[in-house]
Amino acid sequence: MKKLMTALLGASLLSTPVAAQSAWTGGDDQPTSPLACSGESPAPEPGEYNGGAPENAPDRKGKDITVVDIPKLVGVGYFASTASGMQEAAKELGNITINTDGPTRANIDEQITFVDNYITSGVDGILFAANDPVAIAPVLKKALAAGINVVGYDADAQADARQWFVNQALPNGVAKSMMDQLASEIGEEGSFAIVTSTFTTPNQARWISEMQAYTEKCHPKLKFLETVEAQEDNILSFNQAQTLINKYGDELKGILGMTSVATPAAAEAVQQNGLCGKVSVVGLALPNAMKPYINGDCIKSTILWNTVDLGYAAAEVMRQVVDGTLKPGDTTVKAGRLGELQIVNQSQVLLGAPKVFTKDDINDFDF
Amino acid sequence: MTRILIRHEAILGILFAVALFVMAAQSDRFLTTANLLNQARLMTEVGLIAIPMTFVIVTGGIDLSVGSILGLCAILVGVFWQNAGLPLPAAIGLSLLAGTAAGFANGLIITRFRVPPLIATLATLALYRGLAEGISQARSVRGYPEWFAVLGRGEFLGIPTQLWLFALVALAGIFLLRFTAFGRTTYAIGNSEAAAEFSGLPVERTKLLIYTASGFVSALAAIVFVSRVSTTRSDMGNGIELEVITAVVLGGTSIFGGRGMVIGTLIGLCLMQILQNGLSLSGVRGDGTTVVIGAVLIVAVLISNILGRFSND
Repeated sequence: MKKLMTALLGASLLSTPVAAQSAWTGGDDQPTSPLACSGESPAPEPGEYNGGAPENAPDRKGKDITVVDIPKLVGVGYFASTASGMQEAAKELGNITINTDGPTRANIDEQITFVDNYITSGVDGILFAANDPVAIAPVLKKALAAGINVVGYDADAQADARQWFVNQALPNGVAKSMMDQLASEIGEEGSFAIVTSTFTTPNQARWISEMQAYTEKCHPKLKFLETVEAQEDNILSFNQAQTLINKYGDELKGILGMTSVATPAAAEAVQQNGLCGKVSVVGLALPNAMKPYINGDCIKSTILWNTVDLGYAAAEVMRQVVDGTLKPGDTTVKAGRLGELQIVNQSQVLLGAPKVFTKDDINDFDF
Repeated sequence: MTRILIRHEAILGILFAVALFVMAAQSDRFLTTANLLNQARLMTEVGLIAIPMTFVIVTGGIDLSVGSILGLCAILVGVFWQNAGLPLPAAIGLSLLAGTAAGFANGLIITRFRVPPLIATLATLALYRGLAEGISQARSVRGYPEWFAVLGRGEFLGIPTQLWLFALVALAGIFLLRFTAFGRTTYAIGNSEAAAEFSGLPVERTKLLIYTASGFVSALAAIVFVSRVSTTRSDMGNGIELEVITAVVLGGTSIFGGRGMVIGTLIGLCLMQILQNGLSLSGVRGDGTTVVIGAVLIVAVLISNILGRFSND
């Protein structure tokens, strides 16, 4: 029934001339802030610092420090690559030792225990990627109270439970990368559909709204067909992509995958239908999942942040927080080979625009 | 004297003392009151559930659904409180009731329909977790009032609050299993269910009560957990049943039933916790710690088995 409604809604959107103005299905109703179509967008004001501060931290400026990195879980490619970025930064800096340790399952309780034990063992700094922003907050506050510097990356905690957070991508940045890439593959007047997790999943809904705002501003002739839900389910994602292909036939030029499950599943559907080169798939996905399609010349790209850079930036930020060279009120921070990074959302360091992986460089990454 | 020495619990006690000594030598931050109390706080949820689990395993049964009951009850606290708008104490009460009902359902399936506990609770493990995920819609409930945090993060007379609760449940467990007819019936069922039945012991009622208690205490652990981490998620307690069963088995309770003590479970629990904490403090990584705990479990059971051949216990 829900699917029928969606289909009807999609059909009515198509037939009415006001289609371009009505909201894309699956977006939220929060305000949007589309980036400039080309060139640099003016940096938004970061606003007043809302992070926490360690209590009675000893002066560690320029001294050798020991830092522990506690990701959501260990033993997966994603966090192995952030850890390798951290080691790269540690080697360059020379006065910071970073050990990565954490639970083998993405489990809030185990992660809390790890943080707790490292507080007791007396590290100088904690880098974390939270499994739950609220659940980890009390133990991080305990770390701050013990004079430990706390910096997050990848997945944030409540702002006052850490000092800074290295944000891999803002919604409007993701939207710009997705739509620019789509327009470059299907042309400025192509039609496309979106495969998302559910219409109410917060991240995906945010991205879809930002994508609509950016498209109306910068690619006004692109034609939105419909959004379909596929949970984060492999088979459902494949079936939904298949349905889109059957339903729209030649009209469908592109599929946007909003989850790391939907994108490879859509690519598989395109490949099985022999539509390589005729239907483009643009979306967020791990490079490893997309390698078969990109190396096989069926799909051109996949979009994600550079996870090695994310770890690298997190380690650089940690060093500068400890040294006091990154302090509340700053608007940029120097992060080694990454250059100047912007401060956004009061106490976050923005890694930059997401990375578009193509056949030229995707094989250099393993996650 | 020799009989006491070669009891599993005594061997475990010695192992515990050795571990304590070695860990203290490895890191000077280990043997401090603050650290030990903090570790006690962290092990409370597993510890609570391990008490009724000892009873369950002594009867020769198993309860795999405890982690799912924990998750379900945690979610229910949040849903009753935030979505249904009930006062928090009422939400907690209802959640405890739901956990008890979940345990009672386990007991009914096992006693009335004669489904083996392993299969019955394997099924409810999936069922209750599915309910938790369905009810929560993958959303967490946050923003609990300050007073609620006292249970999970506060102190009473210098001791973590939840430790008092744990002590109460543990003492009740020791008393029930050791000194009452209920406890003797529990052992009798584990030794031979048929014999217990023919002796006119209330086998069904005892088992029903034990599984119901297991559900109730899992709900209690859920409340403590929610209070400690100040949020509810449907994946809470995922896999906790294995930690609980490890503690109980390490504590000398025979998986075939008929043998085991709450004291043993407590020592097993503490041994696991200080190994995790001590190894972490002395710089061993998480994966290494898991290996050591597995090895200790095997060694403890082996020693106990070998020595057991020389005694008639």
